[in-house]
Amino acid sequence: MKKKTMAMVLAGALAVSAMAGCGNSSSSSTTAAAGDKTAETTAETTAADSQGGTAAASEASKTDYPTQNVNGIVQWGEGGGTDSLMRPLATLAQDKLGQSIVVQNMTGGTGSIATQYVYDQNADGYNLLMGAENPSLYDALDILDLTYEDFECVLLIGDETVGVAVGKNSPYTSLKEICDAANSGTDITIATTGTGGLPWEVSALVTSITGASFTQVQYDSDASAKVAVLGGECDFTICKVQSCIEEYKSGDLKMLCMLATEPVEQMADVPLITAEYPEFSDYLPWGPFYGVFVKQGTDASVVETLSAAFVEAFNDPSYQDVLKNYNINPMGYTGQDAKDYLQNWRTNTVEALTKAGAVTP
Amino acid sequence: MDVLSYLLIPFQQPMLILLTAVGTFAGVYVGAIPGLSATMAVSLLVSFTYGWGTYESLALMLGIFVGTVYGGSRSAILLNIPGAPSAVATGLDGYPMALKGEAGKAMGIATTQSVIGTVLGIIVLAVAAPVVSKFAVNFSSMDYLLLAVMGMMMVGSLNCKSIFRGLLSAAVGLFVGTIGMDSMTAVRRFTFDISYLNSGVSFVVAMIGLFGVSEALIQITSLDIKGVKQKVDKILPSLSTIKKYIPLTLRSSAVGVLVGALPGAGGDIAALLTYDQAKRTVKNPEVPFGEGAVEGLVAPESANNAAIGGAFIPMLTLGIPGDAVTAVLLGALQIHGLQPGPNLMTSSPDLFYVIVSVLLVASVFLVVFGLTGVKLFTKIVEVPKSILMPIIIILSVVGSFALRKSLFDIFWMLGFGVLGYFMKRFDYPVAPCVLGVILCNLLENNYRRGITLKKSIGGLVGSIFTEPVALILFLVIIVMVGTQTNTYKNWKKKREEKRAH
Repeated sequence: MKKKTMAMVLAGALAVSAMAGCGNSSSSSTTAAAGDKTAETTAETTAADSQGGTAAASEASKTDYPTQNVNGIVQWGEGGGTDSLMRPLATLAQDKLGQSIVVQNMTGGTGSIATQYVYDQNADGYNLLMGAENPSLYDALDILDLTYEDFECVLLIGDETVGVAVGKNSPYTSLKEICDAANSGTDITIATTGTGGLPWEVSALVTSITGASFTQVQYDSDASAKVAVLGGECDFTICKVQSCIEEYKSGDLKMLCMLATEPVEQMADVPLITAEYPEFSDYLPWGPFYGVFVKQGTDASVVETLSAAFVEAFNDPSYQDVLKNYNINPMGYTGQDAKDYLQNWRTNTVEALTKAGAVTP
Repeated sequence: MDVLSYLLIPFQQPMLILLTAVGTFAGVYVGAIPGLSATMAVSLLVSFTYGWGTYESLALMLGIFVGTVYGGSRSAILLNIPGAPSAVATGLDGYPMALKGEAGKAMGIATTQSVIGTVLGIIVLAVAAPVVSKFAVNFSSMDYLLLAVMGMMMVGSLNCKSIFRGLLSAAVGLFVGTIGMDSMTAVRRFTFDISYLNSGVSFVVAMIGLFGVSEALIQITSLDIKGVKQKVDKILPSLSTIKKYIPLTLRSSAVGVLVGALPGAGGDIAALLTYDQAKRTVKNPEVPFGEGAVEGLVAPESANNAAIGGAFIPMLTLGIPGDAVTAVLLGALQIHGLQPGPNLMTSSPDLFYVIVSVLLVASVFLVVFGLTGVKLFTKIVEVPKSILMPIIIILSVVGSFALRKSLFDIFWMLGFGVLGYFMKRFDYPVAPCVLGVILCNLLENNYRRGITLKKSIGGLVGSIFTEPVALILFLVIIVMVGTQTNTYKNWKKKREEKRAH
């Protein structure tokens, strides 16, 4: 019986100590649990390989930041658009920063789980929120009481152009035909990624201008929404250039129009939405954007150090190639520029959504 | 012969072979730890291999992928803690085998079946990718819904004291699956304004708690029982054994490839479906299912590894991921300057065949690494329980934390552990509960999608009869239910009696 009690006590004690280790993983490195370590080892090795006493190291000594690994929390899943932009950027930025950036995905709730998580950590610059445009609308959509106004922007990477896509066998040849059909009572389905997702946002913009409303069918990701249109289950969807360019080239998707002020280089024959609906120019240019953020209240010198490292990484030719590959319109904004952009985007979008009746002011 | 020269690329570069070997080896051990998943390992490697050549980084990542899918069976067999959701079904018969001192045999069969499954999956990928991808794209919400229903039918296949207990357990799982922010309308369900509940409860966390911690708790209360001495003389199953299960292997692998190719379902669902199918169709297993039937290992292990080849089909032909790992790989390809999409096979045909070839190399290494460590691994089961059980609890805590780095997940996991303990104590099976959590999303979201598209329940049901895939799936379900009814059993008995006369 003694053995039994021993084992129970041992198990309990170990579990508690491991949990304590996990809970404080941001501040304690000695008690961190084994799994924690395994996950980080690879990234650490990368940093160890490339830490060559860079200029950033001397800069860091000024503020004593960073003295330990920095966590990069990506609010969307592995392999998604946000993730794929953040990982190479973090790999480059950690060389400039002199500490590893451990990128993790924390998905769920239109990115709100990650946003809340980063907000709950200390404002010390060791937890970065790597996000897309979604948090700008959290309060308007009643998802979370936080927006990017509760964060400091380290770097705005860029934004993306989006377009209206239908399957290759679709009877519709323009957005106007779709809207007219919807207005005359035909049931038109749009494949979306849920409330607050990109197709939902754009369909609200379309509704606010054309008055046409659509049946929203929600899918788990933009890839599965695209599949629904390819397979003919839904009438249309909204795609980023990145996620439709290959299908556009192969003819599997027809692009009806782009939400842009200038034609997209690789899709020069696709008309702009303003050709049919000039009123759209009030909202343009509009598109989902990507950025790196820290919690509001983080020391200004820390934000500066981070911004400097990320801007340097952003300007690296190899990262510019990544942006080009992904058809991202590069911005590279920091400080006040970033603030102004975020403010504008938010005001315009909320205004349009309110007009469409998608949100109540 | 371009194809042949592409296929031979890895064999001209010893580095690629070496990297594949390293990946497979690491994968087997990473996969065996619950909570550490293929997705996690591969996404870490994306940054790690950022500056490498495309082939080199692919070799390492594909090796890890194949290794981890197999590795999940290790802990399922030895400790009754599936290393990954796709190994849940493996533990149902693998663990009883270990309890009988046959862990070595179980791991041997898991290895050979995984290798055969992987190879069959690769063959389908190599020769029939365009056809299968067309099938996958046209798989509608209704079809997914029926697939989920088929998955739920497995509750009937799990050994329960009564069907009521099985259903109750499944209902608890389904309920847990609904917790969190609804992905369609962003409405928060059962979250009580706690933002960490918004993302819901991960089914891996439920799995670790219900299988791992509950098992440890049960065993801690019976420490005096000694560990089972394991037979390790015959690990590699004989050729005649493998031959005997060929029909089941082929059938399970076929299901594995098809389900793996569906963007909305992967190896975990495939393994569950085929286990259920094996249990229903294998008439006279040497050992009953749930007590260590070899068939109960053969089916899910062939299926979950065949799903690897399946997952690559939509990824390489359409640029649409077949599962979470291929989603990460798509990102990796883009980082390396490739444009995955419908044109990939024509613009870089080398890539397709190098992937096929590397996967084949990885399955060869799977034989090597799968069989070499077995003797050492079986020692785990012989470790005294007073040492082993605390270690299991630690591993469970670590695994559930590693998943999302959330302390809440540990609480959930421990809560599930206690729940599982009481369920086992009072003879309620835990497997249906895990099944419920795994299938909840597939079931609910596709039902709602179907209703939105067809406007009414009547319309949704009606669509079964207008779409061929749905009709076939529906008929399969009818047969599955029908053959379980007493009327059918009586009729069959009578017919057999007549024949005997």
